Amino acid sequence: MHGEYKTPGGKLVVVDFDVEDGRLRNVMVTGDFFLYPEETLDRINAALEGMPADAGAEVMLEQLASAIPEDASLVGFSPEAVVTAVQRGLS
Amino acid sequence: MRPALDIYPPVVDSRWTELEWELIREIPETPAMNVALDEVMTKAVGRNERKATLRFWAWANNAVILGRFQSVRNEVQIENARKHNVDIVRRVSGGGAMLTQPDAAITYSLYVPPSFVRDLSFAESYAFLDSWVVSALRDLGVDAWYQPLNDITSSEGKIGGAAQARRFGAVLHHTMIAYDMSPELFSNVLRVGQEKLSDKGLTSAVKRVGPLRRQTDLPRTDIVEAMIQKFVGLTSAVEGTITPEERAEAEELTREKFTNDEWTYILP
Repeated sequence: MHGEYKTPGGKLVVVDFDVEDGRLRNVMVTGDFFLYPEETLDRINAALEGMPADAGAEVMLEQLASAIPEDASLVGFSPEAVVTAVQRGLS
Repeated sequence: MRPALDIYPPVVDSRWTELEWELIREIPETPAMNVALDEVMTKAVGRNERKATLRFWAWANNAVILGRFQSVRNEVQIENARKHNVDIVRRVSGGGAMLTQPDAAITYSLYVPPSFVRDLSFAESYAFLDSWVVSALRDLGVDAWYQPLNDITSSEGKIGGAAQARRFGAVLHHTMIAYDMSPELFSNVLRVGQEKLSDKGLTSAVKRVGPLRRQTDLPRTDIVEAMIQKFVGLTSAVEGTITPEERAEAEELTREKFTNDEWTYILP
């Protein structure tokens, strides 16, 4: 699956993943965004890995947002943008 | 749409004279070596072993330089890149892919201590660190301005883009300005989807760009010289060089990291 979302005035988020037994697998979030510290990307991917594909945007957002450390800076995108890209990939 | 010229608080302009600066002129290097030099020199500033520095890059061959968080396959038509002798290199900073050929771009990096961008938002810091370039381009008659988050643009289209990394105890800010571009190479090697252009009111990434060659008769080297003069006037920077130690460290990093698929394909 492949989903993309560009935050208006911001950056592109791309999510590639598989769905196996109803769960997201091999999740890879990429894009032309900025993220500090860069290791935060691993946390974002880990938060989505294994997520039920039918969890719904609200639950996904909650899980994802809570996995991002407070001192991390997402520049040009947001947890909402990542979830929108996932939802587009699923639909 | 044309926003206000100064996106950062003008009071920070005085910071340019707070630091001692070194200027390093263009020397052609391989793309991987250029990216390695960025890491090495950012670290050197972070360790207080080097003054704040502006380094101009020159490219020894064609390359796509990917942002830290981009997927190779989503951004590059890998087979075509090989066919056109375009190296694929991943840099340490985020942002978008840049494609260039020797003498088709003006590229530079700023290496500064974190205090230089204190109290500025990310958006403000981008506009601030490129403000001297916008000013130099305007002096040359180019109708340029800063487009947040990280673009230098003009009435004729996008001119350049910047990317920052904040690591190794310092801030790396690099910018690539299009002097000339081959639309054919661009569309053969890069992939730019419609989603990326969705808020630009355009359907073609090639049309989005307004290289300087279309906007001025000046040769590339004259534009670089005008930029240098603007920067030296602002900062009193003295001319310097890449030290032998920095070069050796960058050569090692080129071998072990920046030409290594483990790094390049970290996001396949």
